[in-house]
Amino acid sequence: MPKHYRPAGKKKEGNAARYITRSQAVKYLQVSLSVFRRLCIFKGVFPRDPKKKVKGNHHTYYHMKDILFLKHEPLLEKFREMRAYEKKVKKAVSKKNKDLAERLLTRKPTYTLDMLIRERYPKFIDSLRDLDDCLTMVHLFAALPAIERENIQAERIHNCRGLSLEWQAYISRTHKLRKVFISVKGIYYQADVEGQKVTWLTPHALQQVMPQDVDYKIMLTFLEFYETLLGFVNLRLYHSINLKYPPILDPRLKALAADLYALTRYVDAKDQTKGANIEESELRLAQLQHQLPANEPGALMNLVENAADENDEDEETKACKTLFKDMTFFLSREVPRESLLFVITAFGGVVSWEGDGAPFEESNQSINYQIVDRPTQSHRVLPPHLSPFVDNEAEGYVPEYAETIKRLQAAARKEILPMPGAEQDDLENAQNLLVEGIIDRTKAKEAAERKRKMSILQEQYHQELKMEVEGTQYTSLPTTEIKKKIAEDTDDNALQQFAEDDDNMSKVAMSRKKRRLYEAMKISQARKKASVDTLETRKKNIKKSKKTTSE
Amino acid sequence: MRKDGKKLKDDDLKPIEKEVVVNGSEVPSDSEDGSVESPVVSDDDESFSEGDDSSRNSDSESESGSEHSDFSEDEDGENPSNEGGLSDGVDDLNQGDQSASDDSREVVDESDSSEDEVGPRNTIGDVPLEWYKEEEHIGYDVAGKKIKKKERLDKLDSFLARTDDSNSWRKITDEIEDEEVELTKEETKLIRRLLKGQAPHADFDPHAPYIDWFAWDGAKHPLSNAPEPKRRFIPSKWESKKVVRYIRAIRKGLITFDKPKEEPRFYNLWGDESSSTEKAGHGLSYIPAPKPKLPGHEESYNPSLEYIPTQEEISAYQLMFEEDRPKFIPKRFTSLRSVPAYEKSVRESFDRCLDLYLCPRARKKRINIDPESLKPKLPSRKDLKPYPTTCYLEYKGHKGPVKSLSTDPSGQYIASGSLDGTVRIWEVETGRCIKIWELGEPVHHVAWNPLPELPILAVSMGQDVFILNTGIEKEEHKMIADLLHVETSTAQDDSESMASAVSWSQCERYEGIRIKHFKTVSSVEWHRKGDYFSTVMPADILGCFSIFTLTCFLRESKAVLIHLLSKKLTQRLPFKLHGLPVSSTFHPTRSIFFVSTKKNVRVYDLVKKKFIKKLEAGVREISSISIHPGGDNVIVGSKDGKLCWFDMDLSSKPYKILKSHPKDITNVAFHRTYPLFASCSDDCTAYVFHGMVYSDLNQNPLIVPLEILHGHASANGRGVLDCKFHPRQPWLFTAGADSIIKLFCH
Repeated sequence: MPKHYRPAGKKKEGNAARYITRSQAVKYLQVSLSVFRRLCIFKGVFPRDPKKKVKGNHHTYYHMKDILFLKHEPLLEKFREMRAYEKKVKKAVSKKNKDLAERLLTRKPTYTLDMLIRERYPKFIDSLRDLDDCLTMVHLFAALPAIERENIQAERIHNCRGLSLEWQAYISRTHKLRKVFISVKGIYYQADVEGQKVTWLTPHALQQVMPQDVDYKIMLTFLEFYETLLGFVNLRLYHSINLKYPPILDPRLKALAADLYALTRYVDAKDQTKGANIEESELRLAQLQHQLPANEPGALMNLVENAADENDEDEETKACKTLFKDMTFFLSREVPRESLLFVITAFGGVVSWEGDGAPFEESNQSINYQIVDRPTQSHRVLPPHLSPFVDNEAEGYVPEYAETIKRLQAAARKEILPMPGAEQDDLENAQNLLVEGIIDRTKAKEAAERKRKMSILQEQYHQELKMEVEGTQYTSLPTTEIKKKIAEDTDDNALQQFAEDDDNMSKVAMSRKKRRLYEAMKISQARKKASVDTLETRKKNIKKSKKTTSE
Repeated sequence: MRKDGKKLKDDDLKPIEKEVVVNGSEVPSDSEDGSVESPVVSDDDESFSEGDDSSRNSDSESESGSEHSDFSEDEDGENPSNEGGLSDGVDDLNQGDQSASDDSREVVDESDSSEDEVGPRNTIGDVPLEWYKEEEHIGYDVAGKKIKKKERLDKLDSFLARTDDSNSWRKITDEIEDEEVELTKEETKLIRRLLKGQAPHADFDPHAPYIDWFAWDGAKHPLSNAPEPKRRFIPSKWESKKVVRYIRAIRKGLITFDKPKEEPRFYNLWGDESSSTEKAGHGLSYIPAPKPKLPGHEESYNPSLEYIPTQEEISAYQLMFEEDRPKFIPKRFTSLRSVPAYEKSVRESFDRCLDLYLCPRARKKRINIDPESLKPKLPSRKDLKPYPTTCYLEYKGHKGPVKSLSTDPSGQYIASGSLDGTVRIWEVETGRCIKIWELGEPVHHVAWNPLPELPILAVSMGQDVFILNTGIEKEEHKMIADLLHVETSTAQDDSESMASAVSWSQCERYEGIRIKHFKTVSSVEWHRKGDYFSTVMPADILGCFSIFTLTCFLRESKAVLIHLLSKKLTQRLPFKLHGLPVSSTFHPTRSIFFVSTKKNVRVYDLVKKKFIKKLEAGVREISSISIHPGGDNVIVGSKDGKLCWFDMDLSSKPYKILKSHPKDITNVAFHRTYPLFASCSDDCTAYVFHGMVYSDLNQNPLIVPLEILHGHASANGRGVLDCKFHPRQPWLFTAGADSIIKLFCH
């Protein structure tokens, strides 16, 4: 039989050979589905969309190359080993062979994901690009309770917390934070690390809801990978600013749950002692550093300031660093301490809080700002909080306060900083201006619309006149009356009809592909417009109701 | 102490020098050297230490001198009894304890070398030390005098001394000699080696290459002729027992191993970036997962008021389908502390996980362009004038949907057939109805004879086709009457089995001919010369099968008939149709016949009786066909609202498919002189297109949509049923299901 002979009906070429379904893949790899899933998660293998779905539409297809890639993964062998091991333990336990079971338990096969990370992210920058999900997940788990039933262990939660705080400490130390947004879902942060925009979400520091219908095994598998990844990333980042990586923290602060503060302290302290090569234990140093500035807050400021002599910072970082320069904040009890601690230090401010382990007391004279969390302050309501991630222009709808912010920014850039006393008035002025602007704009729009309509009508009318003239030339018939009637009838609908016809006709001339594309685009545009319209109508209604109540 | 030692040595040396002088003649004998050296090898460490001492000192001495010093020291312990005793006694009196012992040693050193014994230098003899534990002295010398113990420092002093002196660890007390000895570096090394169980000398090679002194070469016989013993082939029992013992010990935890050194969990994985240039992946393109959507204003804890839906809107959400319902309902909180935990955070994170590993990924090109730019650039419609744009006239009178229209070749009249069973003739310019035939049955199709001098009309109605005299042209009335006269027997004469089903007969009532078919006739089309006409009987399948049990072949070929009016003849199409015919037309200039079946259009040459070509429309169901007056282009309207333009020279596939109507196209028409064509549809509109055909074969036809004509109302789901162009003017007549005929002019 020649080598290339393929029996009839067994033809495997093209998509049939290139893609296999998930169950086929599981069979091919001779693993269980759960192991397959773990492998896929660790290796970052995802299903693909073949052009022709040989087995039908309701299957998940994997590329054969991906599956071969999994097949040659050493981790696969490791998983098999672990399965064998588990069987051994089970057998020993059920046979009441306690010695053997104990002995086996001390020799559990382990695996590491280091090389997988290297493989998936050949360069450090690649890992930064893919860090969003990782950070969100780790931050979420840092806020979750340990549940034995779901196999969420306390160590992992602690590890997550540690990793997330380390990351935050790095970001705040290097002033890489760019955008913060408090949403209902939590707090979004965006940092710019090595030119990569990294966005993550931290849940609000409250007891989280743990739904029952979630497969925590999958999440934990992801978490396992993410923990390793973030560890390596953190190490790399810490080394880049000449810090030792697993940072050793002041246990006292740690016990007070001021981990982030401890970390920042550690980071700053290391920065201080960089020059002098003192051979002291890290722990001792951390403690010392804590004792030192706790007595005098000025020292802490110095720490922050001293960190400010690096030349390789871009313009943005410099701006971010000096945003809260020479400002001292004090957080009240009800304020979410951790996030603000992170944000304020990231923008170069000095911060303290009410409670144990705070660097300075509320009575300190150097405090410029006290942060409280109240619905109102002397009848002034908070302005709306807007997302910094939205491009208002592209969205088609600019909220009122966004304009105000823009104006204030412009004012700040011109360095005509409003006086602290006049700030409120200014702000209101800005709002007034804004309202006027909007009214102007809408008026202009409406006028333009009217003008357009008029012009079209005029044109139409001219055309009709012309046709009339021509028509009478050809047929000297008393049809003008009928025609006029028709013209009157269609007067209202004519415009719409005209536009529609125009649209339809150009569609007729399009190729099918383009037509489909055009239609899809139109649909999305219409959807966008609808959402903007609802916003505008709501706004109108609100204004109306306000007016009626005021009158 | 060191100093003491040195001084002591110096003292030692002088007498030796003396001795050398004394024994000068005897010394340089080899034998004596050998005898002296042998104990060196075998001796204990003390002897070594002495030797080392001497070697240290030797640098200041002559070689012979050092030799002698060696020599003398080696034998120093042996002769306490000889001369030392004498001098000792003398010294003892003079000096203290220390000096006494020193002296005694001096004496010992000076003793003769003839005796090989090595013994303690102080002369207490071989007496256990504990005997003198309580005493002041530690023994007696030869003279029986007490040898006093040396003054010991008390513990505190010794401790202090030890802390002061960094070399204190080297010092040891020699109980027997009752003195403190400081070990040299070499000595400590030597001790260490001994402790390790190595050879004391550093230069001793324990693994020196084995020199086989036995001469194997000449041996004729093996040393042993015994066979190899069995034990050499079986595993050692004792070894295995030992292994078992070890295993048990390990299992019981008696033997513990060193824990493997813990490596740092994280390290610089990426190294320096320059080294990590290896190709990533495995040949497949990696598609990164799309990033989660960034939050908008509405997700804020305190959004602007307009983002919060009203109560009615929220309750309206409940009525929506699960999929359409918004996933997130914005809410407003007055302060941050009133914001509750987001109950879906774990859920959303989980969903994201699922997306990451379960969702097939594909790269999609997202084009960000203005949709208007997709519209093709069409030539300005103004340049393509004239074309029908507006409704000028309405012809009202029919009671039912007007099924068919036909224009007089001169363009003065139109005929219309309606489902109310009437055929009317209208004057185009006035809209006046000239003539009405009440036929009684729904009229499907009307067709004017293309000859202007023959104003007769073919009307299909049920199973009959009527040829009617319109009576418009008065002069040629006679000729027409002749033409429309049928002798009753002619139809029966036809020998063909086919024709038997078709009967020509005179119809007195309407002054015309009645051609009775065996099935419902849907359309009648005239040949350009006005003598032939074709009728199409589409499959009235259900009826057909029950009445005539015809074969498929017969049914199909019989579905299209060609009649010859002048001879009153009927013949069937001598071709196989391969499908159900829908309509037929004659070529405008040549003797070519087009039959459109539901799927495609078949083209026959009637003279050569040959099948020419098949035009594949690729649409669901063809409804109508029209031929360009040039004859090379065909348009086909279909029931899925598509209009196909065929260029017969180009291909059998459509040159262009225009998806114009959302509903069925009922009819298509070409203008006879202007480059216009139109399609009308059940969606109550008619499209007018510019369709320019160039004589240059390299230039493709130019098709531009010009106008959409509205006006007809929908009735029973039908819209415009027929459209025809005026033969001279760029006007379009449309017949609607609302029983109105409209004229659209430019």
